[in-house]
Amino acid sequence: MDGIPDDELVAAVAKGDESACRELMKRHLGRVVALARRMLGNQADAEEIAQEVFLRVWKHAEKWEPGRAQFSTWLHRVGTNLCLDRLRKQGMDDLDAIPEPASEDPTPYEAMAQKDVARRVDAALQQLPPRQRLAITLSHYQGLTNIEAAEVMEVTVEAVESLLGRARRALKAALATEKDELLRRMNTGA
Amino acid sequence: MMNAGPITLERLDELLSAYGADEAGWPAGERQAARELIAASAEARRLLEDARALDTLLSAAPVEEPSEELVERLMAARPREVPKELPQARRGAGGAKKGGGLRGIAAALWPYGSSAFPAGALAASLVLGIALGTSTGISPIATNSGATTTAAATADTTDDQLIAIALADPSYIEEWTQ
Repeated sequence: MDGIPDDELVAAVAKGDESACRELMKRHLGRVVALARRMLGNQADAEEIAQEVFLRVWKHAEKWEPGRAQFSTWLHRVGTNLCLDRLRKQGMDDLDAIPEPASEDPTPYEAMAQKDVARRVDAALQQLPPRQRLAITLSHYQGLTNIEAAEVMEVTVEAVESLLGRARRALKAALATEKDELLRRMNTGA
Repeated sequence: MMNAGPITLERLDELLSAYGADEAGWPAGERQAARELIAASAEARRLLEDARALDTLLSAAPVEEPSEELVERLMAARPREVPKELPQARRGAGGAKKGGGLRGIAAALWPYGSSAFPAGALAASLVLGIALGTSTGISPIATNSGATTTAAATADTTDDQLIAIALADPSYIEEWTQ
């Protein structure tokens, strides 16, 4: 099934083809989970969102029109909207608002977590306003082009570039003090 | 922004600040000009390295594979194939040759429709017979006492309902053929 285009897989899914369902998930489920994980900050919520996205795929597979949109872009769009809805319901009404900064004094748990490079970077990501976080997630982590990211976010390419610039500057500042140390650890595997 | 001419260091800084060091993410219209500036300028290369360091850090953010439970939940909820053909026994006598076993025999005995129908009729007759036997006093339970008359009346109602269900609901006959 490796060479089969997504559109054909979706058509087979609509007919109840089990192997097509598995192949579609093999190609895309991990990316949807990753998108939601970076937007929401935890795996359980991310899997809930991914489940909802794929349930919609199962439900609407019959109506999918090949060539009208790229399937992966459509998935990102559905996943993005569900994530933003979840964030709104959690009280983040203003999607450009900057979240409250974390306490200066880390708890024992946070101090332990901060030893982990990956957790520290993730914490910095979670401190970004949602739309900046979304832009960097789509561009850097999901590998979308600026045009695709603009389509998913329903904004202009210029707006995506602006959000990305602000996001990366904020991340650079958040990680500046430990950047050298983090890079050294990563390079030495410590 | 999308012209194919040379770009300035300031614009390169904007591009790297937004899209990072991987040129695959740069806007297609400015990619070549950015490459040329990086090849020609030490300052441009410094900006590139700076962007690459941040990319390396960002790529350390955790991501987990989807759990097996999620995959199995979704597989359980996937669309199911709708059978296109009826069972072979319904195709008449011709189908009996391929059907084999009890289904083939049933089709041979009842070539004009569902082999489940005679079985359904038999079951309905049985229910009807029990109902009639109960309501006409053949049953030794039916006596002249008022208490048993009331009980028999209740039994009549219940049996009528059973018969009605047995004769009126074709869906369960369909189920027999599965």
